[in-house]
Amino acid sequence: MSASLLILIPLLPLIGFLINGIGFRRVPKGAVGVIGSLAALGSFAVSVAVLSAFKAAGSEPQVVSLFDWITVGNLNIPFSFQIDQLSLLMLMIVTGVGSLIHIYSIGYMKHDEGFGKFFAFLNLFLFFMLLLVMGSNYVIMFIGWEGVGLCSYLLIGFWNTNTNYNNAARKAFIMNRIGDLGFLLGIFTIIATFGSVEYTEVFSQATGLSIGDPVVVTITLLLFVGAMGKSAQIPLFTWLPDAMAGPTPVSALIHAATMVTAGIYMVIRSNVLYSLAPFTLEVISIVGIATVLLAASIGLLQNDIKKVLAYSTVSQLGYMFVALGVMAYSASMFHVITHAFFKALLFLGAGSVIHAMSDEQDIRSMGGLRKKLPITFLTFLIGTIAIAGIPPFAGFFSKDEILAHAYEHNKLLWALGVLGSLMTSFYMFRLLFLTFFGQFRGTHEQEHHLHESPAAMTIPLVILAIFSAVGGFMGVPEALGGTHQLAEFMSPLYEGARQVNPEAFAATTLSHSEEFMLMGISVAAALIAAIAAYVMYVSRNSVPAPDTAERSSLERLVYNKYYVDELYNGVFVKPIAGLSNLLYSFGEFFIDLIVLGTGRLVKGVSGQLRQTQTGSVGYYIFAMVVGIVAILFWNLLIR
Amino acid sequence: MEPSMLQMPAIPEIIQLIPLKNYLILSTALFVIGIIGVLTRRNAIVIFMSIELMLNAANLLLIAFSSYKSDPAGQVFVFFIMAVAAAEVAVGLAIIVMIYRNTRTTDVGFLNKLKW
Amino acid sequence: MYPIILLSVLGIVVLFLGFMKSKNILLPATLLFLALALGSNFIDWNQGPLLYFYGMFSVTNLTLAFNAIVLISAFLIVAMTRGFQDDEEAQPAEYYGIMLFSLVGAIMIIGYEHLIIFFVGIEILSVAMYILTGSDKRNLRSNEASLKYFLMGAFATGIMLFGIALLYGATGAFSLTGIRGFVSTAAGAQSYILYAGLLLLLIGMLFKVSAAPFHFWTPDVYDGAPSIFTTFMSTIVKTAGFAAIFRLLSHSFAGIYDFWYITLAVITVLTLFVGNVVAVYQDSFKRMMAYSSISHAGYLLIALTALTAQTERSILFYSMAYSVATISAFGVLMLIAKEKSLDGRPNESYDAFNGLAKQNPLLAFVLTVSMLSLAGIPLTAGFWGKFFVFSSAADRGLIWMLVVAVLMSAVGIYYYFRVVIASYMKEGNTGKIRVAPFYQIVLVAATVITILFGLAPGFFEQLL
Repeated sequence: MSASLLILIPLLPLIGFLINGIGFRRVPKGAVGVIGSLAALGSFAVSVAVLSAFKAAGSEPQVVSLFDWITVGNLNIPFSFQIDQLSLLMLMIVTGVGSLIHIYSIGYMKHDEGFGKFFAFLNLFLFFMLLLVMGSNYVIMFIGWEGVGLCSYLLIGFWNTNTNYNNAARKAFIMNRIGDLGFLLGIFTIIATFGSVEYTEVFSQATGLSIGDPVVVTITLLLFVGAMGKSAQIPLFTWLPDAMAGPTPVSALIHAATMVTAGIYMVIRSNVLYSLAPFTLEVISIVGIATVLLAASIGLLQNDIKKVLAYSTVSQLGYMFVALGVMAYSASMFHVITHAFFKALLFLGAGSVIHAMSDEQDIRSMGGLRKKLPITFLTFLIGTIAIAGIPPFAGFFSKDEILAHAYEHNKLLWALGVLGSLMTSFYMFRLLFLTFFGQFRGTHEQEHHLHESPAAMTIPLVILAIFSAVGGFMGVPEALGGTHQLAEFMSPLYEGARQVNPEAFAATTLSHSEEFMLMGISVAAALIAAIAAYVMYVSRNSVPAPDTAERSSLERLVYNKYYVDELYNGVFVKPIAGLSNLLYSFGEFFIDLIVLGTGRLVKGVSGQLRQTQTGSVGYYIFAMVVGIVAILFWNLLIR
Repeated sequence: MEPSMLQMPAIPEIIQLIPLKNYLILSTALFVIGIIGVLTRRNAIVIFMSIELMLNAANLLLIAFSSYKSDPAGQVFVFFIMAVAAAEVAVGLAIIVMIYRNTRTTDVGFLNKLKW
Repeated sequence: MYPIILLSVLGIVVLFLGFMKSKNILLPATLLFLALALGSNFIDWNQGPLLYFYGMFSVTNLTLAFNAIVLISAFLIVAMTRGFQDDEEAQPAEYYGIMLFSLVGAIMIIGYEHLIIFFVGIEILSVAMYILTGSDKRNLRSNEASLKYFLMGAFATGIMLFGIALLYGATGAFSLTGIRGFVSTAAGAQSYILYAGLLLLLIGMLFKVSAAPFHFWTPDVYDGAPSIFTTFMSTIVKTAGFAAIFRLLSHSFAGIYDFWYITLAVITVLTLFVGNVVAVYQDSFKRMMAYSSISHAGYLLIALTALTAQTERSILFYSMAYSVATISAFGVLMLIAKEKSLDGRPNESYDAFNGLAKQNPLLAFVLTVSMLSLAGIPLTAGFWGKFFVFSSAADRGLIWMLVVAVLMSAVGIYYYFRVVIASYMKEGNTGKIRVAPFYQIVLVAATVITILFGLAPGFFEQLL
């Protein structure tokens, strides 16, 4: 594979960034979007070419070295790209979904004054993301990693006139930094242990280690801390919902389809190391399932259309980590792919709704939009069905595979996963029904303004909807008479891991009938939740109370005609609502308290410490003398 | 020519009457007195004089070692120290004079505009 | 060696040029002289390790590279000194002359092979800095900074000299090889006089590069000195100082690494902590930069503590990245402080930067790149500096120190980004600032270097 072709993939978005970034006042507005989208489309086309060349050449992984980058002592870091199944899959997602979102943004951001700046940042993001997935060593990955973080920061704070947005951007930045620290320390531990950062070198050396080696456990845990930050896992997840302050295409691209899956990419990339560290895997699956449940339960009662989707993203990422925790790396990647389709679709659909509603995001003010926005409605419906896990849409296959692996590993994990899936289905259908069914609840002006979005926005929706519908067929399980093409495709990636930990990759022990049972249960759970949502929000037409509503108990008696509603409320809704609120405040309040508290602590210490700088020479010299005496005393007398 | 190649005559007997240890103790004492002077005085000129005392303690030590080792390098170093110290005095006194002109005092206790 | 002789002579020439009526010739002349010195520096390039002055001064490619960094930094800084001429009180010829002389001192301590050269060099450098710090004669802050620097500097000199005297007593030598010869003997590894001498000398040197707890002079002096000389101090003195400490430890005392590394490690951690944490609370950008320079001393100390085969290169790269970023940051600061001056005083607070990007995109960009580099964000030179330093610590297995350093660099991002946020996101009424072409070239050059070495750090290695 020629290096010149490969380098085009990240280079095109970089060029796009330079054109739009440097000349953002001079490039005509019409050209900006075209340049930005062409850059993304171009690198998508090259990626497709590379993929077909890769398959034609017999699917042999290869490292394409571009130039020698740095040599520090024995450590040599080349600037090279690794082309294998994993990076190609990520390439397809990043450039494919990325291109669609670029095109969508032409329509969505049309009226924004920062149009050029927006496309420049978007292209820059693509550039870093492509570096992240293509690099053949941890240093390039880290550079991409930091770069996407920076772009995410810039884009969340894009509408930076609002201080709330700025706070959100800062929070995202701080939390990502905490994760990055772990990642960085992990890299240095890798350097200290293996003397290299090249994947091939590190992994081939790692196969010589024994399972549970403390060094590997340390490395994997440190790397996982990085993944927790980037992929929004407990406790570093609260930045993601706040990040919704940015423009919607950004949420779709960065905070749903690509950047947040970087953590999963990293773990799959390092699968040899992780397969050597069962303890870390346990931690990952526990963190993953906890995130699934926490985020899903918070999502149940959110009223901001984007917030619901954000919590849903956090919870879906949790599923991916559960899969990683049980060493179902392919299943996790499968979910990454399908999730990229349907979550991008949902976010873009939400964007279309917000666009139509003149920037209204509260679903309590929506309703009945399906007639006004037919395309958006249909595609959104497909996305909802896909994420809920109803066959034969994409989400069903990937989620089901994860749950089957979880079942094999630990029945409790599976049960909790199904519970999460139940909640997923509920909040997604609740969102769908409240937005598109019933009566319109907004103002007259908004109603007057309602319109379907332009073609630049609806075409990406339709394409994503098609993929969300059929995307699952790349991984039909054997039990359903398919061959799991994706798993087969990815299987060479685990050569090393299979060698060090053969048990984990043994053939499944589940019989077909067991698999059918699992599928049946999860589909049933999804359907029940969907019906419950239908009953609550369409048949009974209930709308979540406005935040300010204060009804006396007498009033409530009059209003509530059905005793059964009360019961239902008391037994089912109230506890869940309470729990949801509790967990929400846990997330928003407690974790933020810790994070911001750390910041405040540093500031407090700073304030105290600077008092030592009294301004008096005598004091300074005194401090020096104390230092000198202490050093001499300790070195010469105590030691 | 290497400076150390210039051999000095063996240690004069008169110097040997005092053990090297005593020189070490004397110069350390001088040095500590200098430090204490720096710490306790507030007048910039007196502080500066105390620092000179520290420098001279180092000079004394160098000369003592030099004599005992019969190596002139230490004494050469002392000349350098004296020359540099003279330059430092020139600059230091100029700075103190400048401050005195502006504030009419040389008390370092008043110098605390810059802090934190 | 050639730049030492050349700069000493040309410094005197600059002083004489000061007698001429037209002061306008001084700046181009000084720049020319610096360029000459830089050129002469490379006469010895690739000549292998050379010894000059009876074996008291050594020249290798790496010391030449350090000289080059110092000279280039000086060139960039001097190019930003336009405006001396406007001030009637100022004595531009003297300032330029003193700057040239101080470079002699810096070059001497970069390549010393004998402690006399070291001592004379560091005194030339320090005495020049005392004068430059106090050069704003009517300004009480400048006066105060100067006196503080002088008293504490002289005190540190005393400590250092006593250390040298003890070293001489223990080893009978002033030359680095002589000392190493003694250290490698069995008696040397156990000599308390040697230990005490080493510690005192090291403390004196650490004072010059502002390591905690000997850092107290730094914020006050950097804050009080005229910004242009603050830039000079924080880049040139630091680079040369670290080269000197490295030389001492690696050439003479590598044999008793186990003895000194713990002390140095504690000082490193303390320095990182004090520098980064106290910087958080500052309201003045200039004072923040002072604390930031303390924190960068901490990162450089990590490389020293690790003392691997790569240390000299790491220090070299780091000083280069740090110097360039600092120069461009101070360059922007000086422009803005002057533009926003309050009652004739330059305004150096963060608020002065509010809304900078609106009218001055170039300045905001330069500032942003330099802050990113200082914070160690990838694709800037600063990132690789940190990376090299950290990986040498990882090589030594100093993981706990690495953890502290990485945490502290996260704190650093907070205060570096504050000014970026102020200039891009806050409302302010900064008008279009006129930047002289010379000045603009310096800023752009510094930014280009930062980005270039951020993209291709290997290029730097190839230059050596």
